[in-house]
Amino acid sequence: MDYFVNLVTSGLVIGALYGLVAMGFAIVYRATGMVNFAQGEVMMLIAYAAYSLSTIPGLPFWLLLPLVLAASVGLGLVIERLFIRPMLGEPMFSRVMVTIGLAVVIRSSVLLIWGVEPTAFPRPLGSEPLRLAGIALYPGQIFALVSLALLCVLMALFFSRSRIGIAMRATSDNETTALLMGIDVKRISGIAWALSAVFAAFAGLSFCLMFSLEPEISQMGLRGFPATILGGLDSVVGGAFGGLVIGVAENLAGGYLGRGLKEIAGFVLIVVVLMVKPYGLFGQREIERV
Amino acid sequence: MRSRTYKTDVAQLVALSDHRAPWLWAAAALALLALAPLVLGAFGLNLLITIFVLSIGVLGLNLLSGVAGQISLGHAGFLLIGAYAQAILTTDYKLPGLLALLLAGAVAALASLVVGVPSLRLKGLYLAITTLAFTFIVRHVVLFAEGLTRGSNGMPVEALSVAGFSFKGDQRFYYAALVMLVLAVLATLNLMRTRIGRAWLAVRDHDIAARAMGIDLMRTKLLAFMVSAFYTGVAGALVAAQTRFINVDTFSVLVSIEALAMVIVGGMGRVHGAILGTALIVLLPETLNLAFGAAGDGVKTLMADRIYEVKGLMYGVVILLFLRLEPEGLAGIWRKVKRFWVQWPLSQ
Repeated sequence: MDYFVNLVTSGLVIGALYGLVAMGFAIVYRATGMVNFAQGEVMMLIAYAAYSLSTIPGLPFWLLLPLVLAASVGLGLVIERLFIRPMLGEPMFSRVMVTIGLAVVIRSSVLLIWGVEPTAFPRPLGSEPLRLAGIALYPGQIFALVSLALLCVLMALFFSRSRIGIAMRATSDNETTALLMGIDVKRISGIAWALSAVFAAFAGLSFCLMFSLEPEISQMGLRGFPATILGGLDSVVGGAFGGLVIGVAENLAGGYLGRGLKEIAGFVLIVVVLMVKPYGLFGQREIERV
Repeated sequence: MRSRTYKTDVAQLVALSDHRAPWLWAAAALALLALAPLVLGAFGLNLLITIFVLSIGVLGLNLLSGVAGQISLGHAGFLLIGAYAQAILTTDYKLPGLLALLLAGAVAALASLVVGVPSLRLKGLYLAITTLAFTFIVRHVVLFAEGLTRGSNGMPVEALSVAGFSFKGDQRFYYAALVMLVLAVLATLNLMRTRIGRAWLAVRDHDIAARAMGIDLMRTKLLAFMVSAFYTGVAGALVAAQTRFINVDTFSVLVSIEALAMVIVGGMGRVHGAILGTALIVLLPETLNLAFGAAGDGVKTLMADRIYEVKGLMYGVVILLFLRLEPEGLAGIWRKVKRFWVQWPLSQ
């Protein structure tokens, strides 16, 4: 039983990481109808930049977080403006390929600048595990869980209450109609990319606080896909749920069925789910006119 | 100046070429390539072999992505399957090389049903992600089916041989690869002018509309996956026969992206584009090596130590540049240059 509880807990923690990645995917998909294959690489770039910021002597962690977030908002806006907006109106294949090209460029540049060796990330929240009802959680793990919960609530409020959130929903529903209603569609797309970079920042920081700063971090983008698909590409909060489910499923598969299965359990799960529900668990079915 | 051609029946419409000139040019190019081993050293020869072998796989991916419009990020998986099938069949079962080559293609084609079947329900991005999942699953199966594949140790591969004649050594293998490429090109060109090829184009443009026109979506899409995987499987088998040793790391996810870069650089859905794109992407690191070799030792050591990252950076930049500046790829540039010369005094 203890083994099971431990597997589930660490699954939830990894799942929170997947969830943060998946929410980043979903918000871009919602606003622009495309998948950002560079999400993992954006996460990597932000994490490495955060590391460089943290080496500045005398910079407290409470200042580091807003700095990193501001930098990631800037990064999201720059990427959208330089690479995504010029491709508006091109076929979907080319637009997705741009993000794939971007992914390779970012990953290679980061490795060329910072090197491939894993580096220890500072532990500003301490490294003593916290015991809650017999379950030990490290500060980094708590950071991941808390950010996921916080961002979930914020996003739910954002999409139901705020003007921009509602405009974003309208844009994803029908771009032309939204434009006619006076919504600045280009601005919406910029905001979506900035927000997705913020999700990437939280995911990247969680990763670094839990493990270390290593090139493997860009793999998290790929590993987050099953969560995104499970939740439905267009459902932001669904992505968080999908992440938790995939995290637990991977850990249980790894713990009970064999170590190697951990790596692919998520992918096997989504192939099966997609056969039954082609638009994910929470995704909306697309109806098309010929 | 060449005047307009008028086509009066279906046979002329679907003919491979309506002029004699392309055949002559193709024959000349082939003759040149056939003489290449007399001039080139081992290094140049190996580069050409790599281009030929990869071109076969890219032709397959091009059929699926460029012609039938199904994005695949999983072609590294098919290469892996083809290569391991070749290794297992020739080393463990002692099958003759050519038979193993075809079987490797067939095994990959069968495996493609694993991704092909979800593709019936999934479109665009969902499909791309499923094919990506496929690559991971294939890697896992190869790593853990140790009895068959020797896991992470990798496998030695027998040299290609046909009816007792062994294609050992660069020069002999060069001709084998060239013949396979010519066969693949002819097969592709012919496939694209049949009913199936035109059905693929229709599915790419709008699959629901294609279905309304009487195209069986299930058969057409599955066939696109199987044919594409067959090409890629054969290419994987040839890679195995060229390098004589394989392991799972030969075919990482970067290979799928490299292949997509080749298709985009060449021009989507164009046969000569696929070969031009492959040539450009394969030769790019070498050209840069030469160009920067003169720049000094610092750059040289960077190229040597970090070749994987430098290559990745290059593929990415090339993909981005072509998508932004020349979406039709090298095939588009080729067409423009040709038109310029054909209409020369009047060209704009």
